Amino acid sequence: MDYCNPSTSSPVLTGHSKLNKLDKLKLRAFPIRGMRNKSKPTSRTQAAGRRPSFGFNPLALLPLVLVTGCAATSTPLARHTADFSGATSLVVDNSENAYRAAVRLHDQEQASASVAKYDTDKPWDPHTIKPLIDAKGLQARSDVLDGLKAYAQSLADVTNGVDSDQLNAAATSVGTNLQAMGQAMNPTSSAATAPSTETTASADATISATSGFITPQEANAASTAFKALGDYLVSRKIKSAVPKVIRDMDPQIDTITKLLNSDIVIIRRQSALDYEQLLTQQDMFIRKSGSALSPIERRAEIEKLPGILASKQSTDDMLADLQNCLTQLALTHHALAAAAQNSNAASLQQRIADLHAAAERLARFYFSLPTTT
Amino acid sequence: MADAPPILKKPETIDDYQALYDALGRAYWEASDINSKDLVQGARESIYDIITDLDEAQLDANTALFLAVEPKIKQTCATLTKIQSDIDSITKNITTASKVVDAITKVLGIAAMF
Repeated sequence: MDYCNPSTSSPVLTGHSKLNKLDKLKLRAFPIRGMRNKSKPTSRTQAAGRRPSFGFNPLALLPLVLVTGCAATSTPLARHTADFSGATSLVVDNSENAYRAAVRLHDQEQASASVAKYDTDKPWDPHTIKPLIDAKGLQARSDVLDGLKAYAQSLADVTNGVDSDQLNAAATSVGTNLQAMGQAMNPTSSAATAPSTETTASADATISATSGFITPQEANAASTAFKALGDYLVSRKIKSAVPKVIRDMDPQIDTITKLLNSDIVIIRRQSALDYEQLLTQQDMFIRKSGSALSPIERRAEIEKLPGILASKQSTDDMLADLQNCLTQLALTHHALAAAAQNSNAASLQQRIADLHAAAERLARFYFSLPTTT
Repeated sequence: MADAPPILKKPETIDDYQALYDALGRAYWEASDINSKDLVQGARESIYDIITDLDEAQLDANTALFLAVEPKIKQTCATLTKIQSDIDSITKNITTASKVVDAITKVLGIAAMF
């Protein structure tokens, strides 16, 4: 069953007990419409012989609310992409830190080695010092990592297009402007529709607050309808385009994470070597210094040795964690690509829950609108 | 005659060099006099230089792969930007509808003055 098709959605809705709450919300939202029809028509509408169709039949909203169930299916995708973006950003930052730390450590080793070699018979030229990764290599890695971050962020931004603040604001202004237009078309409506004794007896307090040709409730209904329509169109765009983007990107993410992992393997090995070199260089320095160091200086220099070993271990642990993160990143993106396809068996239940969530969201939006002019 | 221990074979891979480096490291700390330590460390530094050269070469090779993958990421980001633009235009269309209603309201206001 295609739950994005309003004609097939009804059984799901009726079968979902929690949606009764939504029905109640709708009844609360639109009671005045029926009551308003009972009120006397204004002189203008009588003269025109027809009534402008700005007033909304609340039932007309129902298909839109149902259709917006399609928008709801993007909600978990939006959640997943937001989570993915946050995790990716963290992995990218950690990877950049790892590169910086490895390059700095290697520079430190070379500086330390130069001190050891300086007074030996081996020729030593400061020009021979070279970074572990040259500027071009660092830039290439930085560009890819930044691109990965931008991709994850763009994905989160795009999939969060449904229920966006801009769309809400645009939909709200439609209702507000419709109400203003109603008042402009019927400036005397306030007096004409002022509640008589008999209407007051039958109408609730909301209708007595009516001051324009289009009631605030009708304007809100219009805003909600536009919001539903906008959500549906945005959702349709996301569902038609984003899963393919994620699917196409999946092998690239796999390649990138493997490439980064390959780098980390090298960096792990090189960092361990650099720390080992620093350790033995420090040891040789202490032993060759002999009596040139005071007992206190000697003690301080010896105490640095276990510190170097501890740094070696913590750096290795950090890089091992990063390797694990990179593996997880690839797996997460793969799961994201699968989820975006809605191809798993659990998606049906998820989609029903999402349909419910979208309907509630729409109801919340409706009730967030002002009911007085 | 049994094969020589792996550590004494001619190293062919980085792992072989790494094993040799680690063995020389143990020899360094076991050596009791400064001359022996100096000798071992001299050999160890040569191995270190070889491994470092190999590591740098591998990182250079990876740089080429990073450069190759970068355009694909840019292309994907451009696709997402296009989708975002399409989504923005949906919001814009609703805003335009609202503006049209607002404009009609203003015209009606002016018309009411005559």
